[in-house]
Amino acid sequence: MADLPDLNPIVHGKLRLALLSLLAGVEEAEFTWLRAKTQATDGNLGAQLLKLEEAGYVAVKKKFVLRKPQSTYRITEAGRQALTEYVRALKQLLGPAVDTRERKS
Amino acid sequence: MPEDATPQELAERLNIIEKMIAEGRRHTESWGWTFILWGIAYYVALAWTAWRHSEWAWPATVLIAVVITIVVAYSKNARHPGTTLGRAIGSIWIALGISISLLFLALGFSGRLTDQHVFVAVIAGILGMANGASALILRWKVQFACAAVWWLAIIATSFGSDRVSTISFLAAIFLGQIAFGAYGLIAETKERNRRNPIHG
Repeated sequence: MADLPDLNPIVHGKLRLALLSLLAGVEEAEFTWLRAKTQATDGNLGAQLLKLEEAGYVAVKKKFVLRKPQSTYRITEAGRQALTEYVRALKQLLGPAVDTRERKS
Repeated sequence: MPEDATPQELAERLNIIEKMIAEGRRHTESWGWTFILWGIAYYVALAWTAWRHSEWAWPATVLIAVVITIVVAYSKNARHPGTTLGRAIGSIWIALGISISLLFLALGFSGRLTDQHVFVAVIAGILGMANGASALILRWKVQFACAAVWWLAIIATSFGSDRVSTISFLAAIFLGQIAFGAYGLIAETKERNRRNPIHG
């Protein structure tokens, strides 16, 4: 099956994929909101966000609010592009299954 | 391709994307409480007016409700992300808050808050407009039903007796504010309990 597309391993991680998908729908989001939506632990969430940041898929803005650190994340153009390509590849790999889902919905 | 990319795994990834994009676009703020708060505020102001006939009843109650709304909304929603949809809905309700506050304050202090029928019709009109606009943007039938309740109140108070006007206003407050707010709170709680954690 040489013509099947590759799935980007950075985007493929479940939590990283969830984070990119969440950030695709908002302008920017705080760490606490991402944690609430994904129900992930602080450590895991921080590690996965760092991987996305290192890949250039998310950008982080850190500031202090009432002396507490606050991190705000937003998806970058590269991240949006990577997510779009991942979805395209996923649809191609799933093929008929996706068509059935789309017909049902 | 990653090693674990079985068809089930891929389908699961598709589910995650769909679910998370929907979560991100959801009107994330929790607003059920404001409907209940304002419903109670209207009842308090009505009771105060019936008891004392004071021109302070509406301006004072509305002012207190505005302050509570601003303080609680800021503390609850400061950490929520900005979305275009959220800003659109928020703009409608902020504009409504300013209009209603000015209306009550100006009419209350000028002493021209005298015709109950006109007063109820104006309030019902503003609330019907805000609920209707929100419902159409969110495609939310329940909120559209709230708008319809307020629109019916306009007709009832315009053509009905004093008694009909009072009853329609009290019923509209109960259905459009308190019952709808409680429904919103219950729906939000159910949604929170339904979420499952996503691991690495």
